[in-house]
Amino acid sequence: MIPSISLHRQNKTKKISIPVLQLFLILLFSPKSLRASQELIPNPNPIVSPSPIPSGDMSNQKKRNFQIEAFKHRVVVDPKYADKTWQILERAIHQIYNQDASGLSFEELYRNAYNMVLHKFGEKLYTGFIATMTGHLKEKAKIIESAQGGAFLEELNKKWNEHNKALEMIRDILMYMDRTYIESTKKPHVHPMGLILWKDNVVHSPKIHKRLLNTLLDLVQKERVGEVIDRGLVRNVTKMFMDLGEGVYQEDFEKPFLEASSEFYKVESMEFIEACDCGDYLKKAEKRLTEEIDRVGHYLDGKSEDKITSVVEREMIANHMQRLVHMENSGLVNMLLNDKYEDLGRMYNLFRRVTNGLATVRDVMTSHLREMGKQLVTDPEKSKDPVEFVQRLLDERDKYDKIISTAFGNDKTFQNALNSSFEYFINLNTRSPEFISLFVDDKLRKGLKGIADVDVEVILDKVMMLFRYLQEKDVFEKYYKQHVAKRLLSGKTVSDDAERSLIVKLKTECGYQFTSKLEGMFTDMKTSEDTMRGFYSSHPELSEGPTLIVQVLTTGSWPTQPAVPCNLPAEVSVLCEKFRSYYLGTHTGRRLSWQTNMGTADIKAVFGKGQKHELNVSTFQMCVLMLFNNSDRLSYKEIEQATEIPAPELKRCLQSLACVKGKNVIKKEPMSKDIGEDDLFVVNDKFTSKFYKVKIGTVVAQKETEPEKQETRQRVEEDRKPQIEAAIVRIMKSRKILDHNNIIAEVTKQLQPRFLANPTEIKKRIESLIERDFLERDNTDRKLYRYLA
Amino acid sequence: MSPIENSSSWTLESDLEDLDIDLQDYGPSLPPKKVPNGDIFEASRAGDVDRLRYLLETGVNVNARDRWDSVALYYACLTGRLDAARLLLENGAICSEHTFDGDRCHYASLNLRIRKLLKAFEARPPPLAPLQASLRETFLGCRHNRTYMKQSSDANFDVSVDEMGSSSYFPPDVVFFVQGRPVEAHRVILSARSLFFKQKFENEWKDRREVRFSKEKLSYPALCSLIHFFYSDRLEISVDDMEDLVRICRVCKCESLQKIVEKELIHQKYAEYKTHRDLDNSMKRFILQGVSLPEEDRLPASLHRILRVDSLADVCVRVEKRSYYCHQVILASRSEYFRARLSRVNDFHEGKNGLPGDSLPFLEEHDLSAEAFEKMIEYMYTDGLEEISPDQAEEIFDVASRYLLFPLKRAVADALLPHLETATPAELCHWLVLSDMYGVLKIREYCLDLVACNFEAFVETREFRAMLLTLPPPSGDSSLRTTVPSAPGATMTTDQGNLLDDLREKWLEAEALELDMRDESALIFDKRLRMLVEMAEQEKSESEAEDNKDTGP
Repeated sequence: MIPSISLHRQNKTKKISIPVLQLFLILLFSPKSLRASQELIPNPNPIVSPSPIPSGDMSNQKKRNFQIEAFKHRVVVDPKYADKTWQILERAIHQIYNQDASGLSFEELYRNAYNMVLHKFGEKLYTGFIATMTGHLKEKAKIIESAQGGAFLEELNKKWNEHNKALEMIRDILMYMDRTYIESTKKPHVHPMGLILWKDNVVHSPKIHKRLLNTLLDLVQKERVGEVIDRGLVRNVTKMFMDLGEGVYQEDFEKPFLEASSEFYKVESMEFIEACDCGDYLKKAEKRLTEEIDRVGHYLDGKSEDKITSVVEREMIANHMQRLVHMENSGLVNMLLNDKYEDLGRMYNLFRRVTNGLATVRDVMTSHLREMGKQLVTDPEKSKDPVEFVQRLLDERDKYDKIISTAFGNDKTFQNALNSSFEYFINLNTRSPEFISLFVDDKLRKGLKGIADVDVEVILDKVMMLFRYLQEKDVFEKYYKQHVAKRLLSGKTVSDDAERSLIVKLKTECGYQFTSKLEGMFTDMKTSEDTMRGFYSSHPELSEGPTLIVQVLTTGSWPTQPAVPCNLPAEVSVLCEKFRSYYLGTHTGRRLSWQTNMGTADIKAVFGKGQKHELNVSTFQMCVLMLFNNSDRLSYKEIEQATEIPAPELKRCLQSLACVKGKNVIKKEPMSKDIGEDDLFVVNDKFTSKFYKVKIGTVVAQKETEPEKQETRQRVEEDRKPQIEAAIVRIMKSRKILDHNNIIAEVTKQLQPRFLANPTEIKKRIESLIERDFLERDNTDRKLYRYLA
Repeated sequence: MSPIENSSSWTLESDLEDLDIDLQDYGPSLPPKKVPNGDIFEASRAGDVDRLRYLLETGVNVNARDRWDSVALYYACLTGRLDAARLLLENGAICSEHTFDGDRCHYASLNLRIRKLLKAFEARPPPLAPLQASLRETFLGCRHNRTYMKQSSDANFDVSVDEMGSSSYFPPDVVFFVQGRPVEAHRVILSARSLFFKQKFENEWKDRREVRFSKEKLSYPALCSLIHFFYSDRLEISVDDMEDLVRICRVCKCESLQKIVEKELIHQKYAEYKTHRDLDNSMKRFILQGVSLPEEDRLPASLHRILRVDSLADVCVRVEKRSYYCHQVILASRSEYFRARLSRVNDFHEGKNGLPGDSLPFLEEHDLSAEAFEKMIEYMYTDGLEEISPDQAEEIFDVASRYLLFPLKRAVADALLPHLETATPAELCHWLVLSDMYGVLKIREYCLDLVACNFEAFVETREFRAMLLTLPPPSGDSSLRTTVPSAPGATMTTDQGNLLDDLREKWLEAEALELDMRDESALIFDKRLRMLVEMAEQEKSESEAEDNKDTGP
């Protein structure tokens, strides 16, 4: 019978044909081979009899009947084979644990373990190794338990090191099991298993578990109160926890450690806060914090750092935050007042670590700032001198800027708090824009003399800072324009560069519109100079006699003041006529009107005893004085008639000529402070002065008087109207339909950089626009507006 | 236990975590299942990594298509099985976007993570052979070299260093300092690969552990990549460093490598005109496989040479009274057993009987034949196996398992398979038992298939029945019997289960029974087996009786 086997498997076909003869041979030889297998127990106890079965024998057999010999080559028939081999390995493990491994042969042990696994005794080997190791660890645990006092940790550490070493050796011996049997059965590998056993039998043994933890915590506690401990030892033990797995470290050590720390710091912080002031407390807290970080670096796991610091933060800072900040005489306000940069810095760094810490500091600082600023700006005493007022604001800002930059690490949120506080209280005083403009005026008139350009820039930058806080920037503009005009016309400007640089700053801050008029003023000054040069070169005969300097001002660019008419003296009016004809000759289509109220004159006077003086007076005063060339004595009425200067102006001008001591170039009869309608005036022949040049100023109020203020205010309001309207139209043009509230919001937003628009005013403007058919109300919803193109 | 795990794995994970996506997008659409008997496609679709690993171990073609013309990787991508896809890719699944199969995979990817995985593997050279891979691991096991690899390779090529613990570390015996930075190496490897180093180590550098190069021109990245090449037969170098490399090659007399690099440099010069440099500012890298070199300049050939000439040997292995002079670094790189043994020398008995004087340390290995050891050493050095006779196969299986040289088993299995074509049932039974014992899955699978398909023929043979006696009985677990996937998380020993269980499964498969009939058929099979076992026992006692008669008085 010849069996021909064919196999069909889906679509593949394999064929094998087996010669019958060979089959027979096998059948014949098989019984013999079976017997042979029983005799050939491979090397049952290699340690006792290290010479294995001669390999020559084996290869001979192999050649004799290969097929069948191979069959039983490794088949273990001796039922005690596994037990015997395991005994060898068990003894080896014992020896390794007793540090007596130098007599063992690695190769032999490995081979035994390999054979066990190969013959499917992996299970036995695995459980055996676990049992043996468990036994050893139990013994070790007993030794550790019996260690007294301080020796406990050392003993534990020693045993741990021993175990580790032994475990590594055992792992290497059992490597084959590790790589095959354990891999396929998905059991824990040898090394992790050794760690687990150590954990279960030693670390978690009831007599050690608590004691170990308490010993460690005691040591930490001792170190906290200043004793020196063996850090290396603690480090080794915590490292053991780490090696056993992160979970073990956290559960068995870290958690209780954190709890104990929390308790410790809770008590300590209470003690501190009762005994110390804020600065000292913070110093102590900082010290504790660095200590803990140090501790982590020395003997804990790096991951614990965040946890332990958060415990310290919570107990030392977060829980006492409010109390610390508001502490009498040493809290935040005190620190701010006394510029305690170091303490503030410490507070910032510590509070930054806790949630809401910085917010608390910031809130307290803000409220303190607002309170202080409010007092500053609303104190009527302090607002008497505008320059002083602004200087105080600047000083305050510098102070807090420095605090924020040195102590608070230039924290943006603090800067914002500072800015918002300033914005809040500067706008409490409606006169702030005026004061700031006056401050600039003061600086540009005289204050900047002898200061380097760089410093000028610094001052201007600071002013700009304050300017930014202003809500009513257009008011500032108004005042500033007036002040610039005065400076320019009276030639009081110290530095043209400084003026221009400020204008550039304003321009970048508020846009071209804001400064176009100011720039116009400067151009006017420039062109006037050119015009005058042209005038004199075309009239060379005028080099003798009085000199006339005319400044041609463009209407609109300059703050308008009603032109006050006055009769100029004949010498001057002739000149004026000549200039008018010259100017209109070169520029057609223009109209000139004289602003005599803004001019000045230098006149030479010779008094009774021949004293010669040059008097610097206003145009009005010149007119008055020139009258005295023709007569010695003039009554008020005569003067008024001759000059046609309006009464209040005339009175003011006469007052400054007659009533100011040391500058009274004319005498008044009767002598009194005020000018009456019936007064008489004569030249003061006895006038003397130390100086050749005498400046006779007009009595001018530097600050605005109440009615003037009202007037400015009104003008500002008037100016705002078209701006609001323009904004409304701009918005409606793009939106077409919008409801009332949104319009208000958008307009306010658009005008923010210039001023804070008043909602009622906006409403009025809307109504006015509706009247003029720019907008209409929606028929159904009265709140909606439509844009009419 | 498979070489798959040995091969260096890559830190894709960390890379993938960077993607800022909702965590829910990560997971596959369904939890992974177990398909104990599924084919490669089923296993990929189910995400059964264990099964997949088993199948790959048995030598399944990873790029094979099923009857829907789809590859396994496609299914893994489609169902979002990241681990399965990775396993397939690591075993050489094609994923290039420009191929038919690759394109489908990209298109079918369930989520971005899968897509990114494909991308990462697209730019990656094919896996290294076991020899090169294990030496490379040794090279990267040195602390300083790891930092080099980290900084020089971009994210995709980054080698996960953490996974190679200190266990895979074989200490270097020489350190070079170039431009102030250290490169660690082993004398044996350098000497084997370069005549220059060999001479230097024999003369000037004989007793030095540190060599400092002070020449400005010698560049650190170039030298590093050259040494890396010496270990792994793969050159990875940024284009900018290639000129330096040419210089070094000239000094080190690596002529063939020098020639190739020079040629490539010329290419690069022209390539610069072609590509827009602005588009890709990342450092350009040049990768050269050892295959590009002439045979005699590759790593296996070089190591083969030093195996024959033992002037560099630093360890002597004694087997059956014969001495073999070997190199520690190679033994340790290839076999964990030797690594442990060499590092444990002082802890055990062996440390004591080292020969006095300056002679080499020596290891004695028992219980194996010199011939098998010779074959193994040859494989260790060259990754190659000279002709193997079936007679030797078993011993080599034993050696391979014992020395944890698992790739060798596969090599032997490949050599053995043609012989099995003509094997008798008895021989096949023998191989089946052996392969089961040593875990040679390829052979085991082959034998099981044959037995199942020709079950009746095998039943006839006495050897088969005798074999049944030695095997543990099949488990009664019915969950193993059908191809219905068991519940997820069910504990299963996937590879190398009960031999008879597997046989029953194969038999059912071969008989191609309907699903509802399977349980019944399985019962019949079990009954049949029991009968056979009884028969075998009877035969055994008979033959024993006969033997007793023979040997009796």
